[in-house]
Amino acid sequence: MSAVSPIEARKAEALESFRVRGMPHRRFEHWRYSDLRAVLDAGQVAAAGTAHWQIGEVPDGVEVFDLAKPAPPDWVVKNLGNIGNRPTMEEASLAFAQGGAALRVAKDRKIPQILPLTVSSTGNLRLLIVLEEGACLTLAETHAVDAGLLRNVGVEIALGRGAELTHVRIAPNAPKSFTVEHIAVGEARDARYRAHFANFGSRLSRTELHLVLREEGAEAHISGVNVLGGESHADVTTHIEHAAGKTHSTQQFKHVAGGKSRSAYQGKITVREGANGSDSRQTAKAVLTSTRAEADLKPELIIFADDVKCAHGAAVGDLDAESLFYLRSRGIPEREARRLLVRAFLEEAVAEIGNDELRAAVWRDIEAVLPRALEQAR
Amino acid sequence: MLEIKNLHAAVDGKEILQGLTLTVEAGKMHAIMGPNGSGKSTLSYVLAGREGYEVTAGSISYDGHDLLQLKTEERAAKGIFLAMQYPVEIPGVSTLTFLKTALNAQRRARGDSELDAMSVLKLVRKKAEALQVSEEMLKRPLNVGFSGGEKKRLEILQLSLFEPKLAILDETDSGLDIDALKLVADGVNATRSPQRGMLVITHYQRLLTYIVPDRVHVLAGGRIVAEGGKELALELEAKGYAQVAKEPA
Ligand SMILES: Nc1ncnc2c1ncn2[C@@H]1O[C@H](COP(=O)(O)OP(=O)(O)OP(=O)(O)O)[C@@H](O)[C@H]1O
Ligand SMILES: [Mg+2]
Repeated sequence: MSAVSPIEARKAEALESFRVRGMPHRRFEHWRYSDLRAVLDAGQVAAAGTAHWQIGEVPDGVEVFDLAKPAPPDWVVKNLGNIGNRPTMEEASLAFAQGGAALRVAKDRKIPQILPLTVSSTGNLRLLIVLEEGACLTLAETHAVDAGLLRNVGVEIALGRGAELTHVRIAPNAPKSFTVEHIAVGEARDARYRAHFANFGSRLSRTELHLVLREEGAEAHISGVNVLGGESHADVTTHIEHAAGKTHSTQQFKHVAGGKSRSAYQGKITVREGANGSDSRQTAKAVLTSTRAEADLKPELIIFADDVKCAHGAAVGDLDAESLFYLRSRGIPEREARRLLVRAFLEEAVAEIGNDELRAAVWRDIEAVLPRALEQAR
Repeated sequence: MLEIKNLHAAVDGKEILQGLTLTVEAGKMHAIMGPNGSGKSTLSYVLAGREGYEVTAGSISYDGHDLLQLKTEERAAKGIFLAMQYPVEIPGVSTLTFLKTALNAQRRARGDSELDAMSVLKLVRKKAEALQVSEEMLKRPLNVGFSGGEKKRLEILQLSLFEPKLAILDETDSGLDIDALKLVADGVNATRSPQRGMLVITHYQRLLTYIVPDRVHVLAGGRIVAEGGKELALELEAKGYAQVAKEPA
């Protein structure tokens, strides 16, 4: 009998798990707004092959390993496929991707420049990001658009003690593709994960975050915008688990849906037994700019601990008629007034991006989509 | 410049204006006084073209145009300005950005060249000083966290910035302390000009001692029930609306 490497074994397990559970559909927990099985079958996921990726110049203190290469280092073997809660599409990306990127920031290295990582085609892909104790990184994840059927990315992030990762993910409008990304994050004591997800929709777009604040003092600050027009779809589903005391999380999502687009946000927060003194804030708001657009916002709180502060709010509405009248009465044409109000609505979420360059990049993409996101569909 | 004839207007199916006739002349200061709920704000909204304010009969001609055929923003570009009783707060839009966007939109609509950010800032600063609108206020989101008086001062700042042909001021005096009232009145008086028609809506005689009207119109029950010179305001103060409304106009 030939020895099977731990990664090979884990991949075989993932394949089996995907085979058994199959494609997610609307009766799967938290897949209500993304019926993937209705549009795609398991064979097509396998046939999608492996996506290409590119990374910018690798700065000193960062190590990159190409997952297509043999002999992965220990930190890859230990983490790959072991951080998340193994949902079915993530298992599929592990089983079918013949490559991907793993990167590690060494202990106490604080990388000043933005590290750009581009997923440059459709297909399955795995990304592994490990920040050792005290390390600090800003990662800009962008996606190129092509005509392929499926992009299925599984991202795993392990943050050591006091490590800080800023993760800005921009998913441009991909009208021909189904796009799925699962992000699993595990945080040690005092670690901090700041993420912004800017989604511009696809035929079916699913962004799922599963984040565990494992030890005291860990924090997560997640923000995002969905800006959708035409027949685009974007579903953002988050699950933040406060598994230790004195952990903090904030979430701020803003959605704009025009045309015949559909936008969804499901945000589950679990505060585990013993995670006392934790606090968690979550707001999600959506503006519909077309009578044929749809937005569904579903917060969910599950609390097993004491002395916990949780606040959440969700609201779907139209652009404020009084504000619109005020602006128009000052001579601002209706289209421009609507654009101004939508920008103002999104501002709070985009402002969560601390990095000027990345914030400007997100605004540029918003501007490009805005005319369609403001269109009333017939 | 503005001729309103037999105007009937409804909100949510309820007729508020019931045969209102009023003429505003260029170079003149007109005051409309009237009890709560008489339709003063409704008239101002109809003039500005607010959605939901349905004109069921009558006509409004403005500067040679059939006003009712124009969109809200077109009316603004053609020189109609409404200082609102309750200016709205718009988080996420800075006051200065708003002023620049509005000013340039009006200029564009009139075929004038747009002003760059620097020129707008200079212009706004000049106007803001007289009204004691601080630089810090201009940076804040539009009207957000402004006091009642600050909101009204910003409305008057816009009046002086946009230089409209017809200015309608809806209860610009409400919520102002004595000093602010003088400041705002000075601001309004500074914009009086032979080309500009002005329509000031107020409850109180007080404002009219600072902004002296040429004509006073009393609005009650959705129509003009009395008209006169500035002395009518004093008579109203002494006798009350009910009494004056009964006497023949
Ligand atoms: N959306 C609405 N639906 C029904 N009635 C309305 C609506 N808006 C205003 N009204 C009514 O129209 C009448 C006139 O209102 P308006 O605001 O024009 O009065 P006003 O003269 O400006 O009063 P005030 O002095 O209090 O400002 C009031 O009776 C008011 O209740
Ligand atoms: Mg009123």
